[in-house]
Amino acid sequence: MKEEVKRTIAYSQESYPPMPTKSTLFWRRNIIWQAWRWVVLNIKIMKIVVGGHS
Amino acid sequence: MAKVVVLGAGIAGHTASALLKKKLGGKHEVVVVAPNAYYHWIPSNIWIGVGRMTIDQVRFRLDKRYQKAGIIFKQAKAVSFHPEGDSEINKGFVTIEYTGQDKAGTTEKVDYDFLINATGPKLKFEATEGLGPGKNTVSVCSYDHAHEAWEKLQLAFKKMENGEHQKFLIGTGHPGATCQGAAFEYIMNVAYEIKKRKLSHLADIKWITNEYEVGDFGMGGAYIKRGGYITSTKIFAESFLKESGITWLKRAGVTKVEPGKVHYELLDGTIGEEGFDFSMLIPAFSGHGFTAFNKQGEDITASIFAPNGFMKVDADYTSKPFDEWKAADWPQTYQNPLYHNMFAAGIAFAPPHSISKPMKSPNGTAIFPAPPRTGMPSGVTGKVVAQNIIDWIKTGKPTLKHKASMARMGAACIISAGYGMIGGAAATMTVSPIVQDWDKFPEYGRDINYTMGEAGLAGHWLKWFMHYMFLHKAKGYPFWWLLPE
Repeated sequence: MKEEVKRTIAYSQESYPPMPTKSTLFWRRNIIWQAWRWVVLNIKIMKIVVGGHS
Repeated sequence: MAKVVVLGAGIAGHTASALLKKKLGGKHEVVVVAPNAYYHWIPSNIWIGVGRMTIDQVRFRLDKRYQKAGIIFKQAKAVSFHPEGDSEINKGFVTIEYTGQDKAGTTEKVDYDFLINATGPKLKFEATEGLGPGKNTVSVCSYDHAHEAWEKLQLAFKKMENGEHQKFLIGTGHPGATCQGAAFEYIMNVAYEIKKRKLSHLADIKWITNEYEVGDFGMGGAYIKRGGYITSTKIFAESFLKESGITWLKRAGVTKVEPGKVHYELLDGTIGEEGFDFSMLIPAFSGHGFTAFNKQGEDITASIFAPNGFMKVDADYTSKPFDEWKAADWPQTYQNPLYHNMFAAGIAFAPPHSISKPMKSPNGTAIFPAPPRTGMPSGVTGKVVAQNIIDWIKTGKPTLKHKASMARMGAACIISAGYGMIGGAAATMTVSPIVQDWDKFPEYGRDINYTMGEAGLAGHWLKWFMHYMFLHKAKGYPFWWLLPE
């Protein structure tokens, strides 16, 4: 069944937060780009873990 | 020969005992006391709760692991602490009660030269009337709870497949609950599974939270670089909820649960109710209610444990207003100030105060998150405590040179938003430090270069990878010691 498009209720709290664009969704799911991001995130996390205690 | 006793075999306790045995070898004794026969990788409970993993994928037996490592394992729960010994024993000891190993119910005194309390939290479902498995809501805090949650979730899916509308209410189940991140992961995964089954049009999914703003996560929120801006995690988290068709109710302290109905109080004093067909709510956490006695048998519980039941350590427990909180309030070595051969790691130590600002309704109800202590800081504190004990044993001196303050260490949190190597997603967040240091970072409270948030498939791969990596480490497989906490 096709997902129904929900109507935005103006001035509701749910009306204010940002929604991702099609481009953002594309890059979130692009395997090649996400493989690169996996490497970058691992490095960032490693730096944080190693640097956070003595 | 020194004897180190570790209470608990969770992330903190298991990290500590494994490192202790590796570095101390056969010359010294390492004893682990834990009530569960299994080690349990808790972050993957979310995936049990949506049927993506089984119980056996997140746990393994401790007895074989410890036997191989030469660690003495007692499947028992700690009951009382006697740091001065008693009339018969001239060193500190804990009393334990066996829960397995064919000795269930038997008590024993276990003496020690060094003690690590890594007993984690008590899931205090009883702090909210009607909350919890066996009552009116499900939980993902343990693997058997998460499995029950999946069974109930399937019933809800079946009703929707039959055309019946279902209301899902997920979040925090007590005004002072923590672990918002875990509940957030669960609601995202439930929404993902509903969408995957093309049932979203029959689902009403709501996030209920004691956070002042969504995205607080018990750490006062954070600022992250995103899309050309430095944005609050409030925006980041609300965006995720909106994208998944989830509405939210914030500043809500759940006070009671009845079949199909939650009662709550809002920070402005409003009393309300919310109906549900399926509800997963995180309970309040506390210490386990241990008692402590001196050599004469006098009760010294209040001098060892904070009122919430967690063990006091080298933190500044002076009561002070939010505006006077400092990074220096937070402990570094996790050593008990009265009995220096006693430490508390992971969730077992008493924090000096929350990270989020305390808030009270006009009715006097405190509605704000308790401080989270997630996997990474639990592992790091377990490691640092073990390192200091190892140095002490080897040199004979308590140098305590290894330190790990939550106001200095960073952490990574991966908030799963759906399981799938191609179709899955997660938000990867790093915060550094975990507890804001407004003196060092006056503009954002944290180092903005190491505090980030990013959504995508890579996040799911990270969480999946960490599941297998940390289980490899915990099982003591080859090169386990090279893997970080």
